[in-house]
Amino acid sequence: MKKGLLESVFWAMSNVLVIAYAAIPMLWILSLSLKRGSDLNDQYFFPQTISLEHYRNVFSDTQFSSAILNSIGIASIATLFSVFLGMFAAYAIVRLEFPGRRLMLAGILTTAMFPPIAIIGPLFDMWRITGLYDTWLGLILPYMTFTLPLAIWILAAFFREIPWDLDKAARIDGATTLQSFIRVMVPLAAPGVFTAAILVFIFAWNDFLFAISLTSTDNARTVPAAIAFFTGSSRFELPIGSIAAASVVVTVPVMIVVLIFQQRIVAGLTSGAIKG
Amino acid sequence: MVGIRLVSTLCIISLIMLAGCNDQKKEKEVTPTLSWYVFNEPSGAFAIAARNCSENSQNTYQIKLVPLPADPDRQREQLVRRLAAGDQSIDIIGMDVIWTAEFAQAGWILPWRSETMEEAKANRLAAPLQSVMYQDEMWGVPYTTNAQLLWYRTDRIREAPTTWQKMIRLAETLGKSGTIQAQGERYEGLTVFFISLLATAGGSVLDTRNEKIALAQEPTIHALSTMAHFANSPVADRTLSTAREDQARLAFETGNSSFMINYTFVWSSIQQNAPEIAPHIGWARWPSLSKDKPGRTAIGGINLAVSAHSRHARLAFEAAACIASERHQRIAATLGGLPPTIAALYDDAEIREALPFADVLRATLRDAVQRPQTPLYNDVSLAISRTLHPMRDIEPDKDYIRLRDAISRALSSKGLL
Amino acid sequence: MLRGNERRKQRRDEQYQAWLLCAPAVLVLILVTAYPILYAIWLSFFRYDLRFPDQRIFVGLDNYLSILTSEVWWQAMSNTLILTISSVALELILAFPLALIMYHTIFWRHAVRAATLLPYVITTVVAAFAWKFAFDPTTGFINALLGMEQAWLTQRWSSFLVIILTEIWKTTPFMALMLLAGLTLVPNELIQAARVDGANAWQRFIKITVPMMKPAILVAVLFRTLDAFRIFDTVFVLTSGAQDTETVSMIGYNTLIVSLNLGLGSAVSVLIFISIVVISVLFVKGFNITLSKRESGDQK
Repeated sequence: MKKGLLESVFWAMSNVLVIAYAAIPMLWILSLSLKRGSDLNDQYFFPQTISLEHYRNVFSDTQFSSAILNSIGIASIATLFSVFLGMFAAYAIVRLEFPGRRLMLAGILTTAMFPPIAIIGPLFDMWRITGLYDTWLGLILPYMTFTLPLAIWILAAFFREIPWDLDKAARIDGATTLQSFIRVMVPLAAPGVFTAAILVFIFAWNDFLFAISLTSTDNARTVPAAIAFFTGSSRFELPIGSIAAASVVVTVPVMIVVLIFQQRIVAGLTSGAIKG
Repeated sequence: MVGIRLVSTLCIISLIMLAGCNDQKKEKEVTPTLSWYVFNEPSGAFAIAARNCSENSQNTYQIKLVPLPADPDRQREQLVRRLAAGDQSIDIIGMDVIWTAEFAQAGWILPWRSETMEEAKANRLAAPLQSVMYQDEMWGVPYTTNAQLLWYRTDRIREAPTTWQKMIRLAETLGKSGTIQAQGERYEGLTVFFISLLATAGGSVLDTRNEKIALAQEPTIHALSTMAHFANSPVADRTLSTAREDQARLAFETGNSSFMINYTFVWSSIQQNAPEIAPHIGWARWPSLSKDKPGRTAIGGINLAVSAHSRHARLAFEAAACIASERHQRIAATLGGLPPTIAALYDDAEIREALPFADVLRATLRDAVQRPQTPLYNDVSLAISRTLHPMRDIEPDKDYIRLRDAISRALSSKGLL
Repeated sequence: MLRGNERRKQRRDEQYQAWLLCAPAVLVLILVTAYPILYAIWLSFFRYDLRFPDQRIFVGLDNYLSILTSEVWWQAMSNTLILTISSVALELILAFPLALIMYHTIFWRHAVRAATLLPYVITTVVAAFAWKFAFDPTTGFINALLGMEQAWLTQRWSSFLVIILTEIWKTTPFMALMLLAGLTLVPNELIQAARVDGANAWQRFIKITVPMMKPAILVAVLFRTLDAFRIFDTVFVLTSGAQDTETVSMIGYNTLIVSLNLGLGSAVSVLIFISIVVISVLFVKGFNITLSKRESGDQK
């Protein structure tokens, strides 16, 4: 199948368009973050003079640095747990016949569609009574739960691709289901686990609704919530520069992960088909 | 079983994590730290007060300032959620005058009694003192107060208009530069605007016991038609429906407006940002609706309350009283331009230099109206601002009924807002 | 006989192990979703306001009645529907060319895919702030670019425009990826055969590609619709619900978390939950999508 030059040029042009589409808002927030405070209102797309003052402000703000720590800690632990539990469940769903399997699948699907706002009130009430309000665990639990369907789904898709025979062979050798699971399946499933982990992490990293509803201090407030509640220098001013700098800081890690692992993410998303 | 072992490992990990979280909280405290949650005050007056009081306490307590978001609605949102969750880290609350009833009713703050109450009451102006009262108890110490004045350009107008009708007519004769700045965005400021006009017209939102809806027809219609008339006149700013205090100030500082309804913070701002118009700024009381009765406006400001969950309540009372003392009110007034609640300070030379409008402000405060002191004020306020936004679309007769309906819903705690 | 017994025992063992493996996940799901939603349903029959902690009384369907007669609720519902329908429709239209571009890309395949993923994985709050500042009349470049003096977020129609734009920018890539997955399932021979038969590009697309992709399209649209219906972050950052742009999720948040009116707020939550169920059922019945078919198809 040969393509004409014209056609190639056309697709190349459209590639440029696509990249511009994705990059412009990101470049914009980056350039805002690099503008001097007095240049913020100059309406230019690119900064005329580059300055790091907003980054200095953001990092000298204790609220922001603790928010970063919280985000990293909460998202990582939630990812770990979610993928761990998801692995067990996905294995059982793919490999084993048991009554309740359909119910389990239905439950997972329902949770995937679940509107978080529907449980925010009860969770707030439960957390405030049990003391989980404004703690890491108070956010880890909902993140873990809401990402479980995604994790199970992606892992199940990956597990199906793994050759049955190896598992069977292991079992004939006298290994129990769990032993074969640990010895044979886990190494084979590693890429799937990794993909699930990336997507789960991104979900937990980006969440806003739980973060603003179930936290209130530096104890557990994550970055998206911290950005939305930045206190400006005066009572009425929106601290645009700081917001932009903080936005860049939260975006960079995600961006790096995407650039490195984009193939896995695409595979995971299209098998998982759930928005984080 | 491997599975069971894994599950129990997970449980143990989470227990360790929980324990870890608790550990962080238990810092060894030599001197108890009192957290004072209050909006971020840019001049540093609050920080100075916190430092002074900590030093004066001779190590019995240390006050830590915790800044709240800039927007008062967000401040409340943050505080309320935390108080409802029984957060023990809050000791002193910089409480907007409109939160008293809500916080007191919910049992989130402690009443001031006996000697602390007497000290907190001493020499305070009547209106700010009224704002800390709920069900015959005192729930805070008045710290700074606030009220709107009419700001105008003395180089364009010889004498400040006394009524809304006169002001609008006068503004119209000035043409393009006659614009009147006010707050018309759908938020607390619009509620203040309405409640002020209603009080000026002789009405009130709730009855004297703050329980049932009052909203007498004649004054309400009068207030609503004044709002509609103003918003639809050429002298209202084009962006009235999105203007808050700060947008109004910014617009006034450009010099293209001749009148502005706003709080006293604009005074120091104009000196700084617009020195060329600063010498031509005059001030007067909130415009009235009739010749014989003065204009009335809603009182603002913050009081200091002590959280019911505080682990050092006794010290918190002491610290709050210290922050709200005469010395620190003076600092707040001279440094931050925040009007004091101690009556005598209005005759003080230093204060009168910082707040040259002191006499007009004192007179305004004497006639000031309290926003409804009900635990459901937040809902009532939302009902008002939602029903009356945008101001230009107000139809007095129709909206009178809608307003009554919305406020009744809010009062029965089922206003879905 | 003996073998049968053994097999049965093995099966019982397998079941036991399967349950054991699923137990932690199920436990968490019950604790953090099933129990809270039941609790929400329970609370929705009470007057339960944390500002009046001692006055918790049973009110039956009063909360629902109060919501369903409120103009605020219906306004929010129609706002949500407007946002959902327009953003999903526009996304679908834009996602097709995007998917085709990704499909046909020869150069920079990785760069293009990574670029399309970016908007999708970026924190919604950050994306919303980026657009908010871009449209801001004093800070933004959009007015300068268009030569306009429009205060975008101060009017209803233009606020909607900005919200929808932000949503589209953020989630079109997701839609495109889903379509791309469907696109790769279309056999190339069919397209070639049609080409030989003289069908032009548009005809080939409409007659062959789209019908073959139908399942992928429907799943993508269903997921996005459910997702768009619970829109919260974007609106919270862009307008906070001002200019009549409030969505049902914002109503829920305001009632529950801002007003602490848990009874009434729970009723809102339950209504949102019901709406989601209704939308799903409509989709599944109306378009005959069987989500679990993909499951069972794969299991063999």
